[in-house]
Amino acid sequence: MDVDPRLYEQMAVNDNDIHSIVLSYLVHNCFKETVESFIACTGMKQPSDHLEDMEKRKRIYQFALEGNALRAIELTEQLATNLLEKNKDLHFDLLSLHFVELVCSRKCTEALEFAQMKLTPFGKEQKYVVKLEDFMALLAYEEPEKSPMFHLLSLEYRQHVADSLNRAILAHANHPTYTAMERLIQQTAVVRQCLNQEHGKDVPQPFSLKDFLKS
Amino acid sequence: MGGVGDDEPASKRMKLSSEELRRLSNGSPLKEPIVESSRDLMARPLQSEGGEEVVGTKGVIKKVEFVRIIEKALYSLGYIKSVANLEKESGIVLHSSIVNVFMQQILEGDWDKSVVTLHNIGLTDEMTIKSACFLILEQKFFEFLDEGKVMDALRTLRTEISPLCINHSRVRELSLFIVSPSRSFSVQSPKQGTSKARSRTKLLEELQKLLPPTVMIPERRLEHLVEQALVLQRDACMFHNSLDKEMSLYVDHQCARDQIPSSALQILQAHTDEIWSLQFSHNGKFLASSSNDCSAIIWEVDANGVLLKHKLSAHQKPISSVSWSPDDHQLLTCGVEEVVRRWDVSSGECLHVYEKAGLGMVSCGWSPDGKWIFSGLADKSISMWELDGKELECWKGQRTLKISDLEITNDGKQIISICRETAILLLDREAKVERFIEEDQTITSFSLSRDNRFLLVNLLNQEIHLWNIEGDPKLVSEYRGHKRTRFIIRSCFGGLEQAFIASGSEDSLVYIWHRDTGELIESLPGHSGAVNCVSWNPANSHMLASASDDRTIRIWGLNNLSAKRKDTHSNGIHHCNGSTRG
Repeated sequence: MDVDPRLYEQMAVNDNDIHSIVLSYLVHNCFKETVESFIACTGMKQPSDHLEDMEKRKRIYQFALEGNALRAIELTEQLATNLLEKNKDLHFDLLSLHFVELVCSRKCTEALEFAQMKLTPFGKEQKYVVKLEDFMALLAYEEPEKSPMFHLLSLEYRQHVADSLNRAILAHANHPTYTAMERLIQQTAVVRQCLNQEHGKDVPQPFSLKDFLKS
Repeated sequence: MGGVGDDEPASKRMKLSSEELRRLSNGSPLKEPIVESSRDLMARPLQSEGGEEVVGTKGVIKKVEFVRIIEKALYSLGYIKSVANLEKESGIVLHSSIVNVFMQQILEGDWDKSVVTLHNIGLTDEMTIKSACFLILEQKFFEFLDEGKVMDALRTLRTEISPLCINHSRVRELSLFIVSPSRSFSVQSPKQGTSKARSRTKLLEELQKLLPPTVMIPERRLEHLVEQALVLQRDACMFHNSLDKEMSLYVDHQCARDQIPSSALQILQAHTDEIWSLQFSHNGKFLASSSNDCSAIIWEVDANGVLLKHKLSAHQKPISSVSWSPDDHQLLTCGVEEVVRRWDVSSGECLHVYEKAGLGMVSCGWSPDGKWIFSGLADKSISMWELDGKELECWKGQRTLKISDLEITNDGKQIISICRETAILLLDREAKVERFIEEDQTITSFSLSRDNRFLLVNLLNQEIHLWNIEGDPKLVSEYRGHKRTRFIIRSCFGGLEQAFIASGSEDSLVYIWHRDTGELIESLPGHSGAVNCVSWNPANSHMLASASDDRTIRIWGLNNLSAKRKDTHSNGIHHCNGSTRG
């Protein structure tokens, strides 16, 4: 059951709201130049400290994505002191990125030493022991790409860590950690899903965002 | 190649063994061709090697195997020279030389060589070979760690262990050991174990379990077979009732009849009417009896016999059941549709009376921790009381009958009673789960085994049924022979490890069956009225008590004891007329 498109016409949408949504997305993802030109075009009020920090955040994100965790950590410490101390999970994840780098470049001795110095201290808490085991298991294989833990070497994993870092930095500066855009889309999908289920008819397929956008 | 010096492929070598020894043997003829033995078709070997030599009268023991396990037993006892001699004389080796080399290499820590040898032994199962390699390399790994050679251990893990591609979860665990050999992590995780390498002998034992028994004879195999035989003999022994009967290898074990109590050593006369229930205390030092004469008696059991200790006379109604407290310091008695009384055993005082307004009690039982009393009531419910009389809980509905036994299991969780004419209720009071034993006949009484795994059920039609009550109740055995037509007759478990069943009977005899085989082994005359109940002393497997409508209790013991009694009558029976002890 689809909503009658005519109903859409009756909903007024404020331009300013749309601008805010777009801006928040751009800011979250550090599209600095785009933000500048967007602000200029729409005549919005320029957010004060966003730009400078955005640049720094962007670089941190890039480093994390590449796997250059040590640089990312260094810059994070500069930008947001104590952030990593308060986010032990994140800290561990970042350090593990570096460990993974060492393993991938087959620097076993270095990787081992790094793990002993930096990662094992986390082992005092039970939840980190399991994670530690996951990473150490990579060392056990000459070809870590073929080991059971190969997903820890993937781009997806690095992206996941980089995203977490990004959100943590935003939170630290009291900015929203999720963009309005993301939230709105999630909201829509969930609501449509619920509606479809409630009507109890045999809907051929669940709500698809892709299809909706195409239509 | 590792110093084995054996160029023949192992599989050929193994087969060569049995052929070799036929050539080497003195040409003794086959005792019985195994293939033609019609006696035991199931034992026919799948691959007929054209008549392997056998020993023994049944043709099922292969000579090669027999000699090898003997050699193994001698080896375990330390008689190495004897083993060598036997190998020479019989031409049958305990282990092929390649296996000997392998074992030597393991004990000396020649890991790499041992792995090579392992591949040459001639095992066919890929997985076994890999698992064995894994064990050996794991040992190598741990020994490196113990020596502090972390990088060597890591190399072993990476280049030798992981490529085996088995047991990845163990590889995970091992990789954690690399980074922290001293196991300084949280102690909660039980699977981590210790990092200290186990002894090489232990490793050999583990390998032995992994490899097929033909390659490496399992440890203690001969001892195991002999013990199996001894256990079977003991289980089949119908009169086995004494601990000190040692088993010998020279003769098959068989106790004589004289181990079962069958001689009346004492006749206790103190009740003035029919005796309805009888129970030894848990420690076997006391005996409680209750009667239609509205009294209960506590008897004391000592080296001289059974003597009256206290007569408990406060009930106004006949007492149908008694129950000992778990510590045997107190006794419960239940008057028929009357009250339950709690007595102190040493003083004979009544400590408490349990009653419920307008409702008579019909049975009584203790909780195993001694804190609560259970009682069946005339309205078929069951109540639970604190010792001071406060009622804690009441299970209403048809939980019990006006005439029913009541038992509580050792974990305090299950209440057992006859809830319908033909059914027994097993109520788990915590989980609130009910199980039932359903019979075709009316149930008159039951008895719970000491280990709580079995229930003995007496039926109207003169059968006694043994039920296994673990999980879903299953009928296990039936016992017949005794007589029951009008009254409640009780039976019990007893003897060493409760291997016997005893029961009263309306023909005045006491019946005893062997529990496992169901064979009736004794029927003891003596009483002059229906024998209502029996109780076997839990602490003395040679003492059995029976109580009858003839108002007496008989104490039964072993035959040879009666001659030793000091103050006995000529017929060797000691009478006790109920005079109280000082």
